[in-house]
Amino acid sequence: MPTYLTIYLLPTLAEPLFHCSTKLYVNQLRVLLTKRLQKELLSLIKDPPPGVLVDSEKAEQNLSIWTIYMKGADETLFAGEEFQLQFKFSPKYPFDSPEVTFIGPNIPVHPHVYSNGHICLSILTEDWSPALSVQSVCLSIISMLSSCKEKKRPSDNAFYVKTCSKNPKKTKWWYHDDTV
Amino acid sequence: MGNCLKGSSAEDISLLRGSENGAETSDRLGPLPPPYREALPIFYPSPNVSRPVSQLTEEEQVKIAKRMGLIQHLPTGSYDGCKKNRECVICMMEFLIGDNVRYLPCMHIYHVKCVDDWLMRSFTCPSCMEPVDAALLTCYDSNN
Repeated sequence: MPTYLTIYLLPTLAEPLFHCSTKLYVNQLRVLLTKRLQKELLSLIKDPPPGVLVDSEKAEQNLSIWTIYMKGADETLFAGEEFQLQFKFSPKYPFDSPEVTFIGPNIPVHPHVYSNGHICLSILTEDWSPALSVQSVCLSIISMLSSCKEKKRPSDNAFYVKTCSKNPKKTKWWYHDDTV
Repeated sequence: MGNCLKGSSAEDISLLRGSENGAETSDRLGPLPPPYREALPIFYPSPNVSRPVSQLTEEEQVKIAKRMGLIQHLPTGSYDGCKKNRECVICMMEFLIGDNVRYLPCMHIYHVKCVDDWLMRSFTCPSCMEPVDAALLTCYDSNN
């Protein structure tokens, strides 16, 4: 197995990128993650999108798992309904997308939401960017729910729910429909 | 002897607690997420594929090496207080004058350490999603 990178590229080109020891670099990432999550939490508490409420007490106890309550927007098929979302942040957030699922007794009946709470939404996997945030993910989910024209489960719901991994990020999603 | 040890360790703990409460105001929002453990740097041959250097194919190594070279060609500078870009959207912190920033061809700017990490995963601008290599080529073309 050739290892060009290890032999000569890593000590030269890579040095400015990994300009400190791995341990220090790891600590930098951890500080970035904590500061950013604290900032996002404060802004979500202070200035949430309409119909969104974060369980701030729980999130303050454990910054890496948040529960968010979401109300269906007025004059949509989900008006009057309440949902719970769970956000899990990996230690590599915001470079890695958060793991977002619907939890609790009421999972919205929507063509992109499986009955186990998994959501088929491209920004949660391949279209993720660190410029997105909990707030923008919430807005995307609200707009996804609001544009729904018929309450139904995805056509492959039964098969998917039986065979999928617990973590929706491990699913190889096939995004085929941008209209709903 | 046992008593003596017990006494001193209890005292040590109270000292530690005292200093934590005083100095670390950022800890008020609860415990830190689990530490990030990685023995070796991990590379991302494609955005959702991560592997340690020893498991990269030759083709992936070349791709990553080229990427590292291209990143080094993107201009850097120190933040001059420009009002158009106030915040690094990756760490969500306001830029401070003198911060080390990198300019992408689409003219979005980020902290060097924030954006370099991202570019090693995906060679796109986090804000406008423009592929950086295509934009670099257009820049070179228009300069020549």
